[in-house]
Amino acid sequence: MTRPSAKEIKAIADVAGVPVSADVAARIANSIGPAFEGFAVVAGTLPFDLEPASFLVVQAAQDTNEVLK
Amino acid sequence: MSATEPALLSLTEVAQAIVQKRLSSREATQSCLDRIAQWQSPLNAFMAIEAHEALAAADDADASLAKGTLRGPLHGVPLAHKDMYYDAGKVVTCGSRIRRDFVATSTATALQRLKDAGTIRLGSLQMAEFAYGPTGHNTHYGPVHNPWALDRVTGGSSSGSGAAVAARLTFAALGSDTGGSIRMPAHFCGVTGLKTTVGRISRAGAMPLSQSLDTVGPLARTALDCALLLGLMAGADADDPTAVLGPLPDYTAATRQPMKGLIIGVPTAFYVDDLDPEVAGILDDTIAVLKREGADIVQVELPDQRQLTAACQLVLAVEAAAFHKRWMIERPQDYGPQVLMRLQNGLAIPGVSYLEAMRWRGPALSAHLAAVAGVDAVIAPVAPVAAPTIAESDVGNSPDAEAVIQRLTRFTRPINYLGLPALAIPSGFTRGGLPVAMQLIGRSFDEAMLLRIGAAFQRATDFHDRVPKSA
Repeated sequence: MTRPSAKEIKAIADVAGVPVSADVAARIANSIGPAFEGFAVVAGTLPFDLEPASFLVVQAAQDTNEVLK
Repeated sequence: MSATEPALLSLTEVAQAIVQKRLSSREATQSCLDRIAQWQSPLNAFMAIEAHEALAAADDADASLAKGTLRGPLHGVPLAHKDMYYDAGKVVTCGSRIRRDFVATSTATALQRLKDAGTIRLGSLQMAEFAYGPTGHNTHYGPVHNPWALDRVTGGSSSGSGAAVAARLTFAALGSDTGGSIRMPAHFCGVTGLKTTVGRISRAGAMPLSQSLDTVGPLARTALDCALLLGLMAGADADDPTAVLGPLPDYTAATRQPMKGLIIGVPTAFYVDDLDPEVAGILDDTIAVLKREGADIVQVELPDQRQLTAACQLVLAVEAAAFHKRWMIERPQDYGPQVLMRLQNGLAIPGVSYLEAMRWRGPALSAHLAAVAGVDAVIAPVAPVAAPTIAESDVGNSPDAEAVIQRLTRFTRPINYLGLPALAIPSGFTRGGLPVAMQLIGRSFDEAMLLRIGAAFQRATDFHDRVPKSA
């Protein structure tokens, strides 16, 4: 997972319907770059059948444990 | 400041005094209004002050009580909240120009539950624009000033809540925490702040920023006060299906339990790295108090928190941009420069990256819970520094603004991504007189344990009792 370039960001923003100038695109690239780099270790490694609701399952298991205490 | 000034009582104390008719609601309300009159100009903590309405409501509460009608455990207690909780018929600005004249047509569930408990409204409190900022700056309404040092920030986004509770202008206040917005003002202003588990309190009628990360919670003077408020607000809500069903613990009873025998973890890395020396010293002092009160202190090795922070940023940026997209198209000129910049960040994150960050949340929470399996809570600083000055943190939309924000909130965001509860407790002061808080981080839905430890810590210390001198 690599950080998007300013040029790519400008294109993505155009597609999203909220166009930004080249300067703004450069600033966005600078702002979110570290998030992409920080998440790079995880990105592309997740198992096929992992879905977002697994978070709620893990949370609910904790809640059940607390009530049973 | 008088020792008998009602506004100096804690929420629990004032509620008991009113119920027992040792104090009237009018006296409590007038005391808060007197302090608001004294502090509002230097602090800018209130968005709206509703003195006449508050006194009328107080008189009504007193008349009801005289006839034997008790509305609830907070009968006649005056409160003010962050200006993002919808209150039917009231303007709710969300700290923005865009909603400067927005009149709510419904009342937030959390707020309604406090009203049902008998509270009355003092007005509304300042906040960062759309709750998207950790410092307390606000382009449209001016910064909120820290009552401990007026040239310092309060932290945000619940900036008015932190300042108003610290200066004893309200007995407690609702805040919201999406990336640290309750804990940061609690830390910078020297008050107790509870970030609740995602799903613990209904978010119906609370302005959204990020549906996966937003949490409702109180800022108050003590852990006991937070326990009282949590007990009143928590639980299922037909208007918010994400609010979790099921029985609730007795939170106030939990605060009476001792600390002895509990195991508290201290992270071996990340939360102890690159701390300001005074914050590091206060962390050591806090650990010493916990030990003295009978807790066992152990080291815990947490998973890489930088990945959690990154995932949090991806989720928050996308969800905030999605909420605001229509206004970003139609009214970009009406946002403050920094908020617009941060909203634009969300445009650049591909859908696949966002969903990867969401899919990883379950395994990341599992890994965290496994790492803390042997401990009752983890203790860590809320931020690596005490309150910076308003001038030095006024970074606007400069190229390094996001980096400054990320540094300031690096100890709070991982907890938001994991959806965990955390209690910020006043833990000391710098030599310059600025408050510093530590956060107790718990397991999902185990706010009771944090309140138990926090209350025991506050029985052994007086940092939460200290009041800033008049401006």
